[in-house]
Amino acid sequence: MSAVLQNLVNQPYRHGFVTEIESDIAPKGLNEEIIRLISSKKNEPEWLLAFRLQAYEKWLSMTEPRWQNVKYPEIDFQSISYYSAPKPKKKLASMDEVDPELLRTFEKLGVPMHERAALAGVAVDVIFDSVSVATTYKEKLAEVGIIFCSISEAVHTHPELVKQYLGTVVPTGDNFYAALNSAVFTDGSFCFIPKGVKCPMDLSTYFRINTEGSGQFERTLIIAEEGASVSYLEGCTAPRFDTNQLHAAVVELIALDNAEIKYSTVQNWYAGDEKGVGGIYNFVTKRGLAKGVNSRISWTQVETGSAITWKYPSCILRGDNSVGEFYSVAVTNNYQQADTGTKMIHIGRNTRSTIVSKSISAGHSNSSYRGLVRVAPTAENARNYSQCDSMLIGDQCGANTFPYIQVNNNSAKVEHEASTSKIGEDQLFYFLQRGIGAEEAVSMIINGFCKEVFQQLPMEFAVEATKLLSFKLEGSVG
Amino acid sequence: MNTMISNGYLENLIRSWQKPAAASLSWFDQLRANAMDNVNTLRMPTTHDEEWRFTDISPLSRLPYPAAYAAPQLQSSDIKHCYLAEAICRLVFVDGQYAPDLSNISNNAGAIIGNLSSLVAAHGDTIARYLGQLAEFQNDVFTALNTAFLHDSACIIIPQNVSVTTPIHLLFITTQKEITSYPRCLLIAESGSNATVVEDYVTTEEAAYVTNSVVEMNLADTAHVSHIRIQRDNQQAFHIGNCTVSLAQASQYYSVSITLGAYISRYNLNVTLAGEGAECTTDGLVLISGRQLADTHTFIDHVKPHGKSRQLHKCIVDGMAHGVFNGKIMVRPHAQLTDSSQLSRNLLLTNKARIDTKPQLEIFTDDVKCAHGATVGQLDKEEIFYLKSRGLSDLTARNLLTYAFGGEVIDRISISSLKRELEEIVLARTQIS
Amino acid sequence: MIDQNSKTLLEVRGLHANVSGIEILKGVDLTVRSGEIHAIMGINGSGKSTFAKILAGHPAYEVTAGTIIFNDRNLFDLDPEERARAGVFLAFQYPIEIPGVANNQFLRLAYNTVQSQRGKEELDPLEFDDFVREKMKLLEMSPDFLDRSVNEGFSGGEKKRNEILQMALLEPKLAILDETDSGLDIDALRIVANGVNQLTNKDNATILVTHYQRLLDYIVPDYVHVMESGRIIKTSGKELAKELEAHGYDWINADDGCSTTGVRA
Repeated sequence: MSAVLQNLVNQPYRHGFVTEIESDIAPKGLNEEIIRLISSKKNEPEWLLAFRLQAYEKWLSMTEPRWQNVKYPEIDFQSISYYSAPKPKKKLASMDEVDPELLRTFEKLGVPMHERAALAGVAVDVIFDSVSVATTYKEKLAEVGIIFCSISEAVHTHPELVKQYLGTVVPTGDNFYAALNSAVFTDGSFCFIPKGVKCPMDLSTYFRINTEGSGQFERTLIIAEEGASVSYLEGCTAPRFDTNQLHAAVVELIALDNAEIKYSTVQNWYAGDEKGVGGIYNFVTKRGLAKGVNSRISWTQVETGSAITWKYPSCILRGDNSVGEFYSVAVTNNYQQADTGTKMIHIGRNTRSTIVSKSISAGHSNSSYRGLVRVAPTAENARNYSQCDSMLIGDQCGANTFPYIQVNNNSAKVEHEASTSKIGEDQLFYFLQRGIGAEEAVSMIINGFCKEVFQQLPMEFAVEATKLLSFKLEGSVG
Repeated sequence: MNTMISNGYLENLIRSWQKPAAASLSWFDQLRANAMDNVNTLRMPTTHDEEWRFTDISPLSRLPYPAAYAAPQLQSSDIKHCYLAEAICRLVFVDGQYAPDLSNISNNAGAIIGNLSSLVAAHGDTIARYLGQLAEFQNDVFTALNTAFLHDSACIIIPQNVSVTTPIHLLFITTQKEITSYPRCLLIAESGSNATVVEDYVTTEEAAYVTNSVVEMNLADTAHVSHIRIQRDNQQAFHIGNCTVSLAQASQYYSVSITLGAYISRYNLNVTLAGEGAECTTDGLVLISGRQLADTHTFIDHVKPHGKSRQLHKCIVDGMAHGVFNGKIMVRPHAQLTDSSQLSRNLLLTNKARIDTKPQLEIFTDDVKCAHGATVGQLDKEEIFYLKSRGLSDLTARNLLTYAFGGEVIDRISISSLKRELEEIVLARTQIS
Repeated sequence: MIDQNSKTLLEVRGLHANVSGIEILKGVDLTVRSGEIHAIMGINGSGKSTFAKILAGHPAYEVTAGTIIFNDRNLFDLDPEERARAGVFLAFQYPIEIPGVANNQFLRLAYNTVQSQRGKEELDPLEFDDFVREKMKLLEMSPDFLDRSVNEGFSGGEKKRNEILQMALLEPKLAILDETDSGLDIDALRIVANGVNQLTNKDNATILVTHYQRLLDYIVPDYVHVMESGRIIKTSGKELAKELEAHGYDWINADDGCSTTGVRA
């Protein structure tokens, strides 16, 4: 039966192709000059250049972290090109004006975005490499006062907001990769939901790394003012390359009093081939600040891609009664490595957090959950519940659980549970005896295993995620 | 942490080390010399080391207390209250020195029990095979120091199929301040043997001292060892304890560790399930208050198939004390059908008390059953309410529940006099009036 | 009902089987015709549950000798799911829990798979819901069962009822009920037995594997077989079960233990 299990994995990466678009690429390497070049290319104000240079200063004094449970060859930061953008032809007013080659790319990816946008009521802020190309539904959103645009655009149109919030949740010197991002970020999304506004649709961005050898450093900033709420979807696919690509994004979320931000990710970047060659290094800093009373920050992620995933979407629960949530599915296969989890920092009173992490490891892959729950002395009546389940498929893979629980207040209640299981032969036999084939059985069992997380995803994402998982694990079970 | 201080600490200890005479380099002296070579290559851990992240031992680094080579005379009457009624067999070490007058090894029920120097003539080969071999000193500075300063050890050999029905009591007493003692114990349980060992740390001193102990246990096929460890040093003391256990096929190791004393204590328990079908249970209770810090690190290593491990670790933290637990369970490739469970439960009695817990699973094979859990909190309000609804006062209800929280671990000790004694201690420590 | 002219559904000859290298079945012979109910009785470890699982194709058992013909096909040519689709149904002794997979989802998938195999119409979720609710009444099951995960958190009795519900949905040609009575109280036993009785007809057959006689008070077998040490050592009519209940399994050996046809009056 394990032969069936073994066969389910090794499918070629479906999104592996390079789009031929003229790129404007900066010379490889990182120095002050390059940062000034990026800043001037983007016609940035002086304060942003200062922000970048300060981050660069800090980055120079920092060393690459090595505590995470992943292995990779040393990265030569001087061999990376830090800026690459499609050459601007003209200002685009509608989707029709988008480069047809680019549109074909999206079609190949199975993301017919105008259709998708219309059908699902999703506004898609498309990022191709590092520059925002087209934004839909912007006007509709503008009617209710929502700002949804690329961050480089926001720098020019709403400098006061960007200046007020940028780097306040993830400081420039937070960690090695966040410092690097702060110095060289090229673009990303900016989203501002004003006081009392419930965003009428899910906001969505598709990211795509294109030019070979260019690292991508996106920067996303989402602010929900008092009583506002928003659901934001992030999805990634990347073309196939043999040289590893570094991806070090920073995402900052800020929720003021009674505000709510829900951030969902389906990540399917190129994971490398079945021998572990190539693939994206995904070193991401994502953090939400539940700043106001009764605020809520919720992270949902389905991580199936990348050669190495290293990310901990976190919540700082500063406001009294604020809520943090983390729902995660991480699937690794072949030689993929994932070290992912969350941090829940309880500072305010009556703060609550929930962590549900599901990992599935197959092939020679290794998956670690690493989580921190910290209850500060001020966090009276803080509550946390964590559940971390791992499933192993085959005996060459590994699953690790590293929960750190630090409690400094005796009114807190923290609970952590973890278990490890496999798809049991008896479980599979039960399905077979009822006439259900092995692949379908495995897909059902896996989706059942991940159900609590999938329930958190917006409908169309949940469907995509379910398919993605079956696809990723095809041939590995039996 | 200041590395200057750390290095100074080690340098002081290194200087005080007496190099064995070159002419008499027996395997034993060679072992000590090797360990000292290792000390020279190691440094004191700091909170930057993952394994010491929550335990700052820099206060210890300022106290390079010398080893006590001569112990003052103690009368049996002085320490009689420490004796265990059930234990006919007793080995007493005072400040790390064997005290034959206080010990009683005549009723050994067929086991070979004594201190290293008296047993080495008849059992040298057996001892040499294990002493210093289980407790690795290559990477652990404290184990290396203990081994370097080793000059005597408690040795217990349970021959094949011998069953020792009464507990063997190892009593380590510290009587002097500002010294470092290096208790050591080696237990070799041959196949099919059975024994219960009580490792007991007590003191007559009130000022600071350092205890750096190392225990090695080797259980051959189907051997069964029950190990009870009680650390009741005074609240100024530093206590670093290392215990390494190796389990052969179908052997069973059952341990309960009770931590009550010391200003800063650290207990490392490493159990390797090296044979198929080996089983271990490693329970613990930490009961601390004031400014005490107690750190327990356990490592259960499943190497072979069909192993089973169970662990319940509890901390009751009062005052401004700080409890640390790091429980790692490793399931190596090919250790199929491992069945492991671990639970870390923690009770904070005040709002200045602190807990850092990290139950950790590392699984490298698929057909396993592993679960762990951790809880931190205060007493269950529903339980308090239930008791109050039956007429108990709030205080009585709380006292009862706190005691019961610790009692669950104490209950797992099979020696009734010891259990009673510990129950009284827990009762006294957990009652607020 | 015994009808010597009805079609032979299952023909087992000289079946030997191992588990983990230990021989459990040592030459089992059994013939089952359409319309018949057979009871296989025996003490724990006699091999009766092993026999049930081998019929369903459980991978843990290795058949070393013998033949099984089911409905004119060599059963060994079929994978477990093909056997299920061909009409072999095993009600498990210990139905497995499948966390996260909703019962209704599971039931519908199983039902539609078998239906499409038989060239019959599949049901969409709404149609299926009506259909399954009807079947559940037969077993006095609450509709709540549909939304819960397969067998997860079910009591012993609920799990067994869920098994018979699946039998009702899949309409097998040959149903093998492995210790279906164990763990059932008398009410649940009555409900389960009633369900099975309603599902039996002249075109299908049932094998009841059981340790105790009490199930046979409710489902009356045409034949009772006694299994011991991996062989059927005695075959008789339904009254044999009563004898076993009264005298225990030992009396068979004390008596003419070699006979496979003799009936003790």
